[in-house]
Amino acid sequence: MMKKILARGELIAVVLTAFLALILGGWQIMLIAALAGMLIGLSAEHKANYLPRAAGVAAFVGLILIAITHFHNTSLSTLPGMEHIPDQAKTVGTYLIALGVIIGLAVLTAWIHNLADERKRQVYFIGLMVALAVFFPFFEQCPGLSWTNFKFVDMAAGCSEQSNLLWIGPVIVMFIYALQAIGLNIVAGFAGLLDLGYVAFFAIGAYTMGLLRSQQLGSQMGDPDFFRWSFWIVIWIAAATAAFFGLVFGAPTLRLRGDYLAIVTLGFGEIVPIVVKNLYAVRIFEPISLFIGQLFGQKSSDLMQFCLLGCGAKPLDITAGTKGISPIYPPDFFGYTFTVGEYVPWYFLALTLLVVSAFFIYRLRASRIGRAWVSMREDELAANAMGVDLIRTKLTAFVLGAMFSGFAGAFYASYTTLITPDSFDFSISVIILAQVILGGSGNIAGVMLGSSIIMLIDRVLLDKLKMVINGVLQGLVFKGIDNQALAVFWTSLTDATAYKILLFGLILVVMMKVRPQGILPEQTAARRRAA
Amino acid sequence: MTLLLKADRVTKKFGGLTAVNRVDFEIEKGMIAGLIGPNGAGKTTFFNNITGLYTPTEGQIYFDGQVITGLKPHLIQKRGISRTFQNIRLFGQLSALENVLVGEHVRLHGSILEAFFRPPRVMAEEKMARERALDVLDFVGLGRKIADQAARNLPYGSQRRLEIARALASDPKLLLLDEPTAGMNPQEKRELTDLVRHVRDNMGVTVLLIEHDMKVVMGISDRVTVLDHGEKIAEGLPQVVQKNPQVIEAYLGTGAAAEGA
Ligand SMILES: Nc1ncnc2c1ncn2[C@@H]1O[C@H](COP(=O)(O)OP(=O)(O)O)[C@@H](O)[C@H]1O
Ligand SMILES: [Mg+2]
Repeated sequence: MMKKILARGELIAVVLTAFLALILGGWQIMLIAALAGMLIGLSAEHKANYLPRAAGVAAFVGLILIAITHFHNTSLSTLPGMEHIPDQAKTVGTYLIALGVIIGLAVLTAWIHNLADERKRQVYFIGLMVALAVFFPFFEQCPGLSWTNFKFVDMAAGCSEQSNLLWIGPVIVMFIYALQAIGLNIVAGFAGLLDLGYVAFFAIGAYTMGLLRSQQLGSQMGDPDFFRWSFWIVIWIAAATAAFFGLVFGAPTLRLRGDYLAIVTLGFGEIVPIVVKNLYAVRIFEPISLFIGQLFGQKSSDLMQFCLLGCGAKPLDITAGTKGISPIYPPDFFGYTFTVGEYVPWYFLALTLLVVSAFFIYRLRASRIGRAWVSMREDELAANAMGVDLIRTKLTAFVLGAMFSGFAGAFYASYTTLITPDSFDFSISVIILAQVILGGSGNIAGVMLGSSIIMLIDRVLLDKLKMVINGVLQGLVFKGIDNQALAVFWTSLTDATAYKILLFGLILVVMMKVRPQGILPEQTAARRRAA
Repeated sequence: MTLLLKADRVTKKFGGLTAVNRVDFEIEKGMIAGLIGPNGAGKTTFFNNITGLYTPTEGQIYFDGQVITGLKPHLIQKRGISRTFQNIRLFGQLSALENVLVGEHVRLHGSILEAFFRPPRVMAEEKMARERALDVLDFVGLGRKIADQAARNLPYGSQRRLEIARALASDPKLLLLDEPTAGMNPQEKRELTDLVRHVRDNMGVTVLLIEHDMKVVMGISDRVTVLDHGEKIAEGLPQVVQKNPQVIEAYLGTGAAAEGA
């Protein structure tokens, strides 16, 4: 029944809206409205009056959104452990603006989606996304949100709520992962090389930044501030270092095929953090005396050797082992210094990095190099016979992928100010690969979408879900029951964050079954070009 | 006539199996040469030796006066030998146009940075490449309309043509076609034969084709070479080879359709 009235995308919008509104509530009504609006717009088929129809559907979904959000704001949020919803979020004004956002975006997206000119459609859509991304932090920050009541509310009153800053931190991390995902997409999506150790280059980028912008090395050299090079130079050095290691790792191994390459890269991902973990007491002697001495049968303890590195009283501590490097200096930008907790500048730095990289990768894909990558993925032998140099082409893909991961790592190190070997776990390689596969291997926009979905589930939604379930259990179910042990058992059993890896695994399995090409498959691009 | 390709006692062994056995072969510029023989005779293996997919166990291959034995496939392609495959090997996910553009790969020069900044020189190069690719699609009779369709969605006959277009895009001196009419009906076969002649006459490309269908080979080849069990058993004008008793026996012996001969 529903299916006939609503298109599939619209149905998804309804379900998603209801679910998100239920667990998020509050200010997030605006984000949900924007998301649902675009979804509805994207599912608008080109028919006689698609614009009024999109508006109608959006209004319908908007009302559902408002109803459920209001339920959350007034009922759910009073349960134990739930976040307090500021009063400004519960006003009719906020609800009306949300309605406006959903209808407006639905109509706008529907219009763009149905433009005849393919190029225009692409440019407008990217423009819309960038505009929303630029708008987002102001909107989410308290002063911006206060405008939704058509007036500046007393900032101290409504805006001290920490919950207002729920999204921007996770979104910055999401950008870092998206940057890695589009980089991995070059290797795995375009060139078809399964890289299971992509995190290695993330780590190399991060540690390059850490070493060149902290007191770690300087303090052992007598001048703590020696390594305080400009962020804007070091980020390039970090990317170049990662790319260099991409070359070093890739050159001997890219001759391997399929599974073998996957295993070797898996090794890289494991080796790099282990090496980093162990570089805390380094003293290097020149090896020539030892060699000659041994040749003449001398014991190494009797030898006079020249020390090359770490010759002081203590050996050189390069990476601080498991303790990690900290603090890493934040970037400066024309006199302004980035600070921890002040998210907006970080947000724009990450956004710029991501957008420029995506643009770069898009252009690479459209060039002869990109065609060579994809042809190799499609049929290596035929590509070779058509004049594609396999080793060289694989190596460019591998090195460029490493480079983008290096950028991401360098940014990450500055942003978190602390890096330890444990931050570069194997699971990161897997999560990024999952983002690529979920979003649509080979499609840059799809991969970024995959990143957003997984990162938001990971960093926001599961926490919120846990909170809601907890609240319901504590406040309603176990209220009258005097059995503490049972309550604890149930709350731990329903801790959504504990099922994270299971959930990602499930998502991948389901995707493989119903849509193996990913949410936004690569070929739609080709098909659309034909239209 | 000038010699374009020369194979000197080329041998290819797979373990104990000698797939190609001391085959001497020559082809002059501007020819259409046919290579026939029953299934498993070693024809495709011979092609693979020429194009570098295999390295000959023994023997030398000369192209345009230079030794190309053992070179990597992409380097051989760069020198001017292009090919199609017996079982079509297109880049299925890519559009027809992109398939042809990959064929042009060796003619293009844009670097990574140029791909990003798109200086005028690279823009012009890319534009010309596209124009040319569209021309080639026209030339093989596919037309420009299918340019944006995914290769794997094209009908079988079009895929065969697209593979030829991709091979021609690099502007080769020698085109190797491995059973280009396999699986086609007589009408399609005739059209494809015309295309091959068209390629030779209007693009000046020398053609060496493997063909199972005797009628097709006899129709267009200037000269025919027959392989059986990896050995060359006959060579010469089609009409002569056709009457060679050894050839007839080879075909009858394996039960292949000899009535075409
Ligand atoms: N890569 C290979 N490894 C082992 N044997 C092969 C290989 N390629 C071809 N052969 C064998 O070589 C012989 C010749 O095959 P092929 O050249 O494909 O014949 P044709 O193309 O004339 O039908 C066959 O017996 C085949 O099984
Ligand atoms: Mg064959």
